[in-house]
Amino acid sequence: MGITERLIEDVGIRRGVSRLTPEKIEKIVNAVLKGETGARLKTYAETCMRCGLCAEACHFALSHPDDPSYTPAGKVHQTMSVLLDKKGRVDPDFVYGMAQLAYTECNLCRRCVHLCPIGIDTAYIMSTVRRICHKLGVTPQYMQDTAHSHASTFNQMWVKDDEWTDSLIWQEDEAREEFPGLRIPLDKEGSDIYYSVIAPEPKFRTQLIYQAAAIMHMAGVDWTMPASTGWDNSDMCMFSGDFEMMGRLKRQHFESAQKLKVKRIVMGECGHAFRSVYDTGNRWLGWRHHPVPVIHAVEFYWELIQEGRIKLAKKFPGPVTIQDPCNIVRGRGLQEKLREVTRFLVDGDIIEMHPNREHNFCCAAGGGVINCGPPFKNVRVDGNTVKAEQLRATGVKTVITPCHNCHGGLHDIIHHHKLGMDLKFLSDIIYECMEKPEA
Amino acid sequence: MKRILPLLILAGLVCVSALVAVQTVMAQDAITKLAPEAFGKLTRPAAVFVHDKHNEKAKLEDCVVCHHGGKDGVIDRTASTEGTPCSECHKVKPAGKATSLQRAYHKQCIDCHRTKGKGPVACGQCHKR
Amino acid sequence: MNAAYEFVTGPLAWFAWGIFILGAAWRLYSMYQLAKKKDASSWAFMDLGFSLRSIVNWLIPFNALGWRKSPVMTVATFAFHICLILVPVFLVAHVVLWTEFFGISYATLPDSVADAMTLVVLAACLIFAGRRLTQKEVAYITTGKDWLALVIVTLPFLTGFLAYHQIFDYQVMIIAHIVAGEIMLAAIPFTRLSHMVFAAFTRAYMGSEFGGVRHARDW
Repeated sequence: MGITERLIEDVGIRRGVSRLTPEKIEKIVNAVLKGETGARLKTYAETCMRCGLCAEACHFALSHPDDPSYTPAGKVHQTMSVLLDKKGRVDPDFVYGMAQLAYTECNLCRRCVHLCPIGIDTAYIMSTVRRICHKLGVTPQYMQDTAHSHASTFNQMWVKDDEWTDSLIWQEDEAREEFPGLRIPLDKEGSDIYYSVIAPEPKFRTQLIYQAAAIMHMAGVDWTMPASTGWDNSDMCMFSGDFEMMGRLKRQHFESAQKLKVKRIVMGECGHAFRSVYDTGNRWLGWRHHPVPVIHAVEFYWELIQEGRIKLAKKFPGPVTIQDPCNIVRGRGLQEKLREVTRFLVDGDIIEMHPNREHNFCCAAGGGVINCGPPFKNVRVDGNTVKAEQLRATGVKTVITPCHNCHGGLHDIIHHHKLGMDLKFLSDIIYECMEKPEA
Repeated sequence: MKRILPLLILAGLVCVSALVAVQTVMAQDAITKLAPEAFGKLTRPAAVFVHDKHNEKAKLEDCVVCHHGGKDGVIDRTASTEGTPCSECHKVKPAGKATSLQRAYHKQCIDCHRTKGKGPVACGQCHKR
Repeated sequence: MNAAYEFVTGPLAWFAWGIFILGAAWRLYSMYQLAKKKDASSWAFMDLGFSLRSIVNWLIPFNALGWRKSPVMTVATFAFHICLILVPVFLVAHVVLWTEFFGISYATLPDSVADAMTLVVLAACLIFAGRRLTQKEVAYITTGKDWLALVIVTLPFLTGFLAYHQIFDYQVMIIAHIVAGEIMLAAIPFTRLSHMVFAAFTRAYMGSEFGGVRHARDW
């Protein structure tokens, strides 16, 4: 049992490990442990009573019921505990397994917090393991590619500056056929709303920008999108352990909004980006509060609905189920607003998955796991059979989830298990059902 | 979890049988005990105390060493109270600064044993089952 | 016997209590300093109200998801911890010692109740040991430190039970019991038992983050 029995070849991890020596490992591990960790890690490592209650938390553990090496404490036992016990004196082969485990078998979803009586944050421990792996230069190739893209372009998908504005103008152009007078205002100073998205949207989900523009237009929102860097709110560096770059990305995002003197940032329907902007990046930068208030699309749509600014021509035919994204539910408590928005949009019942809300199972794609690419696709699909069972038990045809990673993860699970379900963003449904100008 | 149940039952059985065994071990008669009626129902088995044997062993001739006088929690070793039962002066629930009966026994016996370095000092040495 | 008893109830007791109290205070203080120095971005979000909200919700049996998912463990651990604290503090024999040494006296548990509660502690220890041996997710992560903590906690109750019932040699058993209790006290700040000192704070921190930042329950 354990990670050493299920190693998967990854070019990035392999090359990184090949450059290591035991001396280098020891030096870097201890540099991170001494320099960047403190009372949190120390108390967690010391007071974890090894009671095993967290086994019930993790979708990986529940999907591999006979293999305790997938439990949260089991994962810490194979990684951080060893580093601490051996004071960093581990060999390069160990680092291979540690990296594979930390990057691909933990989504940092924090569900285990709900099962641990003393409140140990396993996601923090695994993030610290990833931080060490990053400093050792041992990262999965696909994820590192996105991190390189962040470092070079300030967006995750190697989108060039002109491609970004071109994409926006293209979507504006398309949308004006359906919504005469619609604009995607670029760099409009003093707007109420600064709308930021993740780079996969201009890259291959451009319709989401179209839909967002349509909703903003019909709701009469005073909004803008930045024409230059800062527009991408995503953050694979947070997940690869490149915290320095995470800090630069978040600073760029906030400064871009500040330069435009906007009142608020609204982030598109993405979970991990919200975690990065709302909860993580700001801390690295030493900011307790956000320089510009940040809200997630779910909350924004909820507000528009409360104010009566979204008018529906029809309702979306239910029943539907809701996949609660960890980063806006366990990370921001938007579960009830998500349901209120859904009830407003859908004609029919919301058939809940069980468990749901804060206790929902992760999609197994988030936390950068899906970004580790094809070599690890089966790790997350096989590692989430509990999600497949949860989805199947609802018996519905439509899953609503306001998160890109949840979409990616559930898409693969639905296909693998032939569940025949459709995945929808809220904006998909709002766009489909809202009143539109007479054509 | 279900695998725990047999273990649990086993643990229970071990503990219960131990308890039963313990209860039947006692019954040592023909010894004098300190069990004044004032205590009513006893918390622990009465303290073993064979008066003459104790005094012989402890080379105690002067009665006032134990049968002292005094009041308000202050001992007077000049006034002998020989023949007066302890519970006459020391009440189970005394008023004011007076020493309670239990504390009087504990203090008198244990303090002396500790000073002399001889004689019982731990609970079960006097309160024998 | 008397010399040994004098030693374990005298100098050794002072020593054990000293290590326990000073050790716990030192560990708390140094952890506080470390948290302020190294965990500022977490420390900044500590909040008393949300800390208590989390602690209270986890103190209610079967309230938190973690408790509901493992009912046997929940019953065992609540019974264990309640008895573990109440028995030594309110045992007649212990209060008599407080009275003897310091003149302090307070309410006590009837011996029969304390006896039953001791058996509860021992039964819970057996359950914990059984889980470590038979439940794979617990066995996988169990280390020597975990067994050590369990043994340290079991011994004072086992020897206390045997001494109370005067099974085996009483004089040996009572000394063993006192020493076992002193080992437990002194071990608290420096073994897994330090969760007695730190658990409230790890819980409070999680409660603060979930309450103040994430606006979600953490139970």
